[in-house]
Amino acid sequence: MRSIIAPRTGPPTRLSLPAQVGLHVILLLFSGVMLAPFLVMVVVSLIPNSAFLARDFSPENFSLQNYVRTFQVVPFGRYYFNSIVVSVSVTVLQILISSLAAFAFARLRFRGRDALFLFYLATLMIPFPVTLIPNFLIIKTLGWYDTYWALIVPGLFSVFSTFLLRQYYRSIPLDFDEAARMDGASSLRIWWQIIIPLSGPVLATLAIFVFQGAWNDFLWPLVVTTSEHMRTIPVGLAAFVGQYSTAWDLLMAGSVIALLPVLVIYILGQKWFVEGIALSGMGGR
Amino acid sequence: MTLRTPSRSLFRWRPDQQWEGYLFILPSFLGFLIFIVLAVLMSLGISFSSWGLTGFRGVAGPANYQQLWRDPVFWQAFGNTAFYIVTIVPMQLALGLAMAVGLNQAIRGVTIYRLIYFMPVVTTIVAGAIVFRLLLSTNGPVNQGLATLFSALDIPFTPPNWLGSSQFSKWSVVILTLWKNTGFTMVVYLAALQGVPKELYDAAHTDGANAWQRFRHVTLPLISPTTFFLFVFQMIGAFQLFTEPFVMTQGGPANSSLSVVQYIYLAAFRDIRMDKAAAMAWVLFVFIFAFTLLQNTMQKRWVYYESE
Amino acid sequence: MQLKRKMGIGLILLVFVVSLSACAGVAPQAAAPGAAPVAGEAVTITWAFWGSPEERASHERVAAAFMEEHPEIKIDIWHQPWNDYFTKIQALWASGDPKVIPDVAFLWPTPQYAAQGVLENLDPYIEASGYDLNDYWPGLLESAKYQGSVYGLPRDIEVNIIYYNKDMFDAAGIPYPSEDWTWDDFLAVAEKLTQKDANGMTTVYALAAEGGKWPKWVNQNGGAIFDDYVNPSKCLLAEPASVGGIQFFADLMNNGYAMRPADLNQAGGDAAVFMSGQAAMILQNTSRVSAFNAAGMNYDVAPAPIPTGGKRWNGAGGAAWVMSSASDNKDAAWTFIQWLQSDGGGQTIYTQAGEIFPALQSVANSPAFMTDQPPANKQAIIIEASASDVGGFGYFPEWGELSGSIISPGLERIWAGEADPAGALADICAQVDQFLAERGYPK
Repeated sequence: MRSIIAPRTGPPTRLSLPAQVGLHVILLLFSGVMLAPFLVMVVVSLIPNSAFLARDFSPENFSLQNYVRTFQVVPFGRYYFNSIVVSVSVTVLQILISSLAAFAFARLRFRGRDALFLFYLATLMIPFPVTLIPNFLIIKTLGWYDTYWALIVPGLFSVFSTFLLRQYYRSIPLDFDEAARMDGASSLRIWWQIIIPLSGPVLATLAIFVFQGAWNDFLWPLVVTTSEHMRTIPVGLAAFVGQYSTAWDLLMAGSVIALLPVLVIYILGQKWFVEGIALSGMGGR
Repeated sequence: MTLRTPSRSLFRWRPDQQWEGYLFILPSFLGFLIFIVLAVLMSLGISFSSWGLTGFRGVAGPANYQQLWRDPVFWQAFGNTAFYIVTIVPMQLALGLAMAVGLNQAIRGVTIYRLIYFMPVVTTIVAGAIVFRLLLSTNGPVNQGLATLFSALDIPFTPPNWLGSSQFSKWSVVILTLWKNTGFTMVVYLAALQGVPKELYDAAHTDGANAWQRFRHVTLPLISPTTFFLFVFQMIGAFQLFTEPFVMTQGGPANSSLSVVQYIYLAAFRDIRMDKAAAMAWVLFVFIFAFTLLQNTMQKRWVYYESE
Repeated sequence: MQLKRKMGIGLILLVFVVSLSACAGVAPQAAAPGAAPVAGEAVTITWAFWGSPEERASHERVAAAFMEEHPEIKIDIWHQPWNDYFTKIQALWASGDPKVIPDVAFLWPTPQYAAQGVLENLDPYIEASGYDLNDYWPGLLESAKYQGSVYGLPRDIEVNIIYYNKDMFDAAGIPYPSEDWTWDDFLAVAEKLTQKDANGMTTVYALAAEGGKWPKWVNQNGGAIFDDYVNPSKCLLAEPASVGGIQFFADLMNNGYAMRPADLNQAGGDAAVFMSGQAAMILQNTSRVSAFNAAGMNYDVAPAPIPTGGKRWNGAGGAAWVMSSASDNKDAAWTFIQWLQSDGGGQTIYTQAGEIFPALQSVANSPAFMTDQPPANKQAIIIEASASDVGGFGYFPEWGELSGSIISPGLERIWAGEADPAGALADICAQVDQFLAERGYPK
């Protein structure tokens, strides 16, 4: 696997000094644009609204008061808990379920296997809005409206994950299974002790994707939750905007609270995030 | 991508393995049946019926589709979505590629830059939308900055009303989306760039190709599969834009930033028109399907695969 | 080996079962309201409303007062902020489950929901209990009727009046508005109150008014939205009188006298700009009184100016208490609604809290409203309320959709200064007429 940290391929010549300086200027400019919103968020979250409107950034205005107030009016702790429960459950269970199915599609034989897989593939193109309303109705019929079931269960079944894993499982030599079967291993054992350990990087990449998607999902939790204590972070934050539409100090404090842990995790594990994308072979090669 | 075909000899027909296979796919298949197959069928059914708060109210035939056809707001939302696609997709590809090329050089600090460029990608879009509402408000930092710049250049300047005027509201959504997603494009491109074999550059160099020519004739064709992937991926994403306009402009003013998915949401949950919403979702599906097919056909003209 | 395989398959099943029950494990008790009725002799009613935390507090006081008078009925509260309320309550109704459906709800617009069959027709209850409908302000009950029957009892009536900052009038040397001031008087005052900077950008506005206040100007000028508000056949917004009303409002903005609604929105709303002195006047209903009193502002209210030859007009509308047709305690629900809408009951408590201008004329004329708190000129509110009439919105189920996707967005172009009223209104009317024809109007 290629590392993208230290380029070993690429342009042949080292850049001349002026070119390097020029490049840094451009890259720093981009960095400024990318970072400015975060900077504004943090600064505004630390001063009272009146000070921000008057553009008065004198040091005595800075305090953590907005964070205290935000925590008083919004149960961010609860939102966090919900987001974690939902994202972790969806990630773990979706990968488990997809992996089992992908294993069967790739390495077991049963009647109708290929036809069924084609049927799966055919649904890959269906956009989310098509299933939004019926799924909402299904959830209500099941009596799951405004519960964790509604937030988690529909997210467990992913054709995309199944497809991705099946492709990978097919690339693992079949001799491994053969040898294991000779030793009397069951299919489940082959899946768990051979296939899963061999697919570490793919599973990690997939996990990052699924987790990211579940963590940032907005429309579905918006539609299937109603009580304040069932909201996830994006939905809770949006409701907060509705109530305090121009209280910039509180809104920014809320945004920082919502972002901070994720950013910390990202910065600590950024190698994984970024390389995961590279490893998943999404470039079609 | 070449995939090994399972050797036929190993997979002789084994009746005892059959039901095992079914059990392995059972959890996945149940969910697939309920939340995808059943949902799609229901959606199709709803779109051809009259469906209100209490459920089925009668067969409507193609009436919902006919209503859409004549609904100016639907077309406006479609037009807006088209605008998002033709602005966001190319700009994001170009910017992402530029960043990736910049980072694919032997210079210091690549890891830090990459960390920064990717930061918005992991950010909750709702939080991003809130900050941009502040940045782009009439007397917000962006307009203040522009006013300072223009007055320094002595050019008369009327601050644009980014969120409150129909000319600019769509651009606000575009700006937010670019900020949020370009880092993703950058990372994917970076991975592709680093897969370009060094020997090809050396060869081009020997042939006397300058930097631009090398980029144009070596790099671009070699990363075209990545471009194709990103193109399709971002286009499908732009078709389904929802959170950005929903939080930042609420689709306004005058529906000028309303996206199709947002209109679907409003039809279903504001106007209690599940039927109309389902019909819209199907029209959207047909469009996405057609465009992806078109892309797939067109790719033969410009996407270069090594194996060919 | 055989055993092992069986165990393996058992494991797969286990994974599936666990995957389902894992969610149950972390799920707390069902979150739906009223899902767990309290055992005991009291009947429990779920009561749904929206509102800010302050408004919630006064709703809770009302519930407490009711339960004191009626110990046999227990009120469970279901509360959402305004922008989530409608989506959420629709979901409850759509579930069809009487256990989660609120028995009594605060709602707007009533006809849209009545047409969906989720609301109880209140006519039989009104008749059986001899409840007096004549105490309501003129035209008000129309907004809660569907096919001629009453489906809701409006809690308040939106009475839009001019609030003015007395200090700013004094500073500009302008006399306070009189009861019979005209549009021309208003323009003269606006000219004096508006302050602009060197570039001609307004720094202090004479007026801040939400875009949604436009029906006042249209109706005052003799214009109208429809020929018939229950069963419309034609949009009348492109008629000269209607265009004149919209033109008046648009000119106020184009001349820099009135804040554009988009700017107003970004500046934090009319209450914020009025309190900060960015606007000398606002056109708004009575809901702002408590905030201005709390801030100790030096203000008063006046009736809205009317055009020469025009008429005084106030849109008769207000969110109403409705009963779910799926309620399993309809008699108790009616007892509660009736109490909410009575002098001495809910009406009085809300009015005393300064939150509403009451739907009942008797309460408006009682000490509950006629306090010695500002604004001093309460008569101005009574004058506007007495001129209440239909004309602010349609009373048919599709009004929400029509206004949300066609009329309001069309008008937003005018408020933004991007379209000229006559042309934009002609466009709007063409779309409205097509919409009506498509939905089978007139029926």
